[in-house]
Amino acid sequence: MKALRVDRSLPRFAAARVAGALAPGSGARVGPLRLVDVDPPAPPGPEWRRLRPRLAGICGSDLATVDGKASPWFEPIVSFPFVPGHEVVGDLDDGTRAVVEPVLGCAARDIDPPCPGCAADDLGRCRNIAFGHLEPGLQTGYCADTGGGWSIALMAHPSQLHRVPDGMSDEAAVMVEPTACAVRGALKCTSGAGGVVAVVGAGTLGLCTLAALRRWVGPDQLLVGAKHPEQRRLATELGATTVVEPAGLTRAVRRATGSMALPGRGPGPRDRSQGEPEQLLGGADVVVDCVGSEASLAQALAIVRPGGRIVMVGMPGSVTVDLTPLWQREVELVGAYAYGREPQLDRRTFDLAFELVAEARLERLVSATYPLHRYRDALSHAAESGRRGAVKVAFDLRDEKDRERL
Amino acid sequence: MRFPLLKFPLSAPTRPAGVELLPGARRSGADYDTEWARRPLSRYARLLMVEGPIRLGVHALAAPERAGLDRLEGLQGPAIFAANHHSHLDAPLLLTSVPNRWRHRLVVAAAADYFFANRLTSAASALAIGAIPIERNRIERRSADRAAALIVRGWSLLIFPEGGRSTDGWGQGHRGGAAYLSLRCSVPVVPIHIEGTGRIFGKGDKRPRPGSSRVTFGAPLHPVAGEHATRFAGRIEAAVATLADEAATDWWSARRRAAKGESPSLTGPELASWRRSWALGDRRRRAPGRRTAWPRF
Amino acid sequence: MSPRPGFVMEVDRSTPPTLFMHGEGFRLQSLPVGSRIVYPPEALPTVADIDGAIRSALVDPVDSEPLSALLFPGMRLTIAFDDVSLPLPPMRRPDVRQRVIEAVLDLAAAAGVDDVHLIAALALHRRMTEAELRHAVGDRVYDAFAPRGQLYNFDAEDPDALTFVGETDQGEEVEISKRAAESDLLVYVNINLVAMDGGHKSTATGLASYRSLRHHHNVRTLQRSRSFMDQHRSELHSSNWRMGKVLRDAGVKIFQIETTLNNDTFPPPFDFLQKREWEWSARDRATFVASSKALDRAPNRVRRSVFHAVRAPHDLTGVAAGDVEAVHRLTTARVYDQQLVAVEGQTDVLTLGLPYICPYNVNSVMNPILVMSTALGYFFNLYRGRPLVREGGVLIVSHPTPWEFHPVHHPSYIDFFEQVLSETTDPLEVEKTYEQAYAEDEWYRHLYRTSYAYHGVHPFYMWYWGAHALQHLGAVIVVGGDTRAVRRLGFKPASTLRDALEMASDTVGRDPSITHFHAPPLMMADVT
Repeated sequence: MKALRVDRSLPRFAAARVAGALAPGSGARVGPLRLVDVDPPAPPGPEWRRLRPRLAGICGSDLATVDGKASPWFEPIVSFPFVPGHEVVGDLDDGTRAVVEPVLGCAARDIDPPCPGCAADDLGRCRNIAFGHLEPGLQTGYCADTGGGWSIALMAHPSQLHRVPDGMSDEAAVMVEPTACAVRGALKCTSGAGGVVAVVGAGTLGLCTLAALRRWVGPDQLLVGAKHPEQRRLATELGATTVVEPAGLTRAVRRATGSMALPGRGPGPRDRSQGEPEQLLGGADVVVDCVGSEASLAQALAIVRPGGRIVMVGMPGSVTVDLTPLWQREVELVGAYAYGREPQLDRRTFDLAFELVAEARLERLVSATYPLHRYRDALSHAAESGRRGAVKVAFDLRDEKDRERL
Repeated sequence: MRFPLLKFPLSAPTRPAGVELLPGARRSGADYDTEWARRPLSRYARLLMVEGPIRLGVHALAAPERAGLDRLEGLQGPAIFAANHHSHLDAPLLLTSVPNRWRHRLVVAAAADYFFANRLTSAASALAIGAIPIERNRIERRSADRAAALIVRGWSLLIFPEGGRSTDGWGQGHRGGAAYLSLRCSVPVVPIHIEGTGRIFGKGDKRPRPGSSRVTFGAPLHPVAGEHATRFAGRIEAAVATLADEAATDWWSARRRAAKGESPSLTGPELASWRRSWALGDRRRRAPGRRTAWPRF
Repeated sequence: MSPRPGFVMEVDRSTPPTLFMHGEGFRLQSLPVGSRIVYPPEALPTVADIDGAIRSALVDPVDSEPLSALLFPGMRLTIAFDDVSLPLPPMRRPDVRQRVIEAVLDLAAAAGVDDVHLIAALALHRRMTEAELRHAVGDRVYDAFAPRGQLYNFDAEDPDALTFVGETDQGEEVEISKRAAESDLLVYVNINLVAMDGGHKSTATGLASYRSLRHHHNVRTLQRSRSFMDQHRSELHSSNWRMGKVLRDAGVKIFQIETTLNNDTFPPPFDFLQKREWEWSARDRATFVASSKALDRAPNRVRRSVFHAVRAPHDLTGVAAGDVEAVHRLTTARVYDQQLVAVEGQTDVLTLGLPYICPYNVNSVMNPILVMSTALGYFFNLYRGRPLVREGGVLIVSHPTPWEFHPVHHPSYIDFFEQVLSETTDPLEVEKTYEQAYAEDEWYRHLYRTSYAYHGVHPFYMWYWGAHALQHLGAVIVVGGDTRAVRRLGFKPASTLRDALEMASDTVGRDPSITHFHAPPLMMADVT
């Protein structure tokens, strides 16, 4: 069976890193990811079920892996070789369509009694992701035993499977997993209710977070810094009150909050009352960083109000950021990784995500699909999605030839 | 650095007043004929000197700040520039400070007995700064006639009405020459105050000590109908005194004192010499912040 | 040869291409045969003895005692003067304000006045820098007063420096500089570049706070000012005159000094910009070719510094002093003498070449909002009688309209452009929804008071300034502008004048009448 697989090969990781630095997404040409013919994964346990992916999305964290930029933190919590792809909608052997909730928690690992995280149904906080009868792997798509979405078939534990309602398209279903991450992030912004929330970045996560903020948090002002025109259009459609270019976000937040501002520490004479504002003294109640770069985190720190909160929805990797503002302004910096149960609403994140995808018609964010063998094009498209007017790029496996042979 | 290096009989004799010279005799002193120094070639040479080495030298030594040039806006035709006098630097300083309109058609009234003591210094003074000899020790019509003739021909005149450099930092009473020429030729007098050159290279100094100076131009004075030269000279002196006050304090304070007739006198108090020097102390203004201690890049 | 009056010329086949100012550059454009070009009058002769004229105006004022009779020892004297927005371009030194202020101070010194304050009457404009103040009042005055804190910029946001004087019969609040209101005499030194300047507007606007200004700087008033250059048909002026009356009744004694300048705008070698094209000498043509080529290649920054270094050879055509209204009547007549050009009938299409400068971007960037205000606020309003362009007609503006702002001078403009104009361009909507938030924003207030920023509400005034034109015009087309910026303003972009005329035909039909307003130098169309 065909699969895109990541091998543990140091030279290839090094090459990917160089290529990825030159052109994002081009790590696919020289890197650890290759299209290979492998045996279908064997079920790790009796109750495990086979899922043949229909659509499998390309996530920012996947791109980091492909370009060799993934954090060393991941190393002990993945197992090589693995097939990436955790945003998956596929067919079970009985013909029902299902979406995978990819976190491999205690249930999937057959650990009993479960850890406190899993006991509270908060899968994202599982404490055993490297243990149990499975190889280490925080999610399906990072684990050698389960396979991943970028292939013809993978194995999934029944606890991971969510039936797709009949009326829901595959495109909508593939958006459920990223939307669940966004919902998780948005529900950490409840202190922004009735206040000012700023979202940095308007890729898939940014736009989904925006939709989730509109749906459940209800800030008075919802500002988005979006780089590309298509992103700005979608952000407006999804309910942002102000959509600006990233450089204008500081100014927009200042305007919305009536804060005082200071110019940055650029070159030239530093007259403290002149120039473009770069550092706010007040600021947004909550800033959601949906990019996870040094620049976005630095901007988030500059535009959040003292005592405010920064929610990291984008995966940051290792970044160098001056944390003095975090200290001086007593800012909370919280992560929003995955899903489980949302205590405020007492509902599972995935259920909320299904609801939001349907309500906000998030299937419109799927801009392009590629067959597996065009994975290089797919990855470079995904890496440059914003610039090329796209949001979510996915693999379309519905027409793969060996899919029916299995 | 005294100009007449040699004295008679090693240098040419000076001419006693009232004695007619033999025709064709070589002349110096008040009789030195400076006409050649106003021919085109000499003027061109002078222009090169003034704009080149003299300007550089003045800048290096005296770092002048020039104020009040806007008061000369709208002034047409020849004028008499009357300044107080502290130093040999004054003439070069003013040559580089007077606006272009007058600068290259300007003669400097210089002491006949000093700058025109012999033919060499005469030629040098006439060429370099456009000096014309003025007799300062006695009344002499000829030098006045010569200056008047030049003004009528469109030349402007730079004159130091105090008649010589200050000996103690205080000014000396104005003589009537500037006022007389102004009345005679109906040209305005531009009062000028120079501050600082006395500290840089005052009378009796062996070598210059670079410092800063300030030149303040006043509004042109026109003789009032029927005004006597002495009275006009007094007005010129008062104008220079007001400028001195302006340079030391500020324009508004100077105007107010001038209006009350309380401008500090240029000539200083009538006191013993040490008290005069003592009194000078607070008029030696060092312009704050005008020159930075550290070079600016 | 005495200066020739302005005139209207009809374009025929032999007419050379016409000069259009185009921001920091200029262009030659061929107008269709049959178009009209309005040329300004030539510069009027100037006063020979400027200082003498100023002195005699003070000695023999209009409807007032001589200035010296109004001065007495122990009095509080305040001298207010126009800010950096006048004249345009800034005039060569010495500035006429300096000459007038020195003459006034000379009399004050003679009268033994000690307590003198000088205030740059800038209302909600940006503060003047030291260099700009020195240019306006001269080094002598600056050095004498600024170090003692007696020469300063007016601060309309300093509650301690303002005083509420009263209300007009129409409920307009009058709040002006406390120092000015409480002085024994306020001397206001004006430069009356256009007919709008001066009169009661000097004090009632120049030294007033937002609380007071909002009563006449609003859409309703400005839409009823037809035009601001014609005091008798300007609601803006009626309001200011009502406020002037409140000031007078409250005992604020104002000695008004108004000066008029001729329209000698560009110094050599750029004086060809104010000549009629068929009179360009070989040298003018060479300068045009060389400078337009060089400017095309030069980076923005260089072009800007070249143009903003221009010091106009403006000279004084007259000075009047005394009672505000009497002085202003004389001044207005003088301004009209210099600027009025009789034009018969309105036009379907009016073309304008906008220069690089307007009152609000001296030493700064002419941002898109200022382009709007200069075209629709100032140039459109340079008429008496009827607007030069008919109702429903088209205005074609030539200006690069860069999406560029001076971050120090125009911080609130950036937000206005980003936020307000992306929502609406309707002045009433703009006023209703956003004005208050901008006017009361603490950061803008801080920048206005301590930096060199226009007040937060100032971009709104710029927009209101064009409110009447927006109501009157069928369309506005900008030639050669940044497309996105032009669209944001609600105007139509065109790349060439020919395209613009083509686009105009959608609004005014085929074969419209076209008139080009050949300014600068400034003039006023007297439309019959």
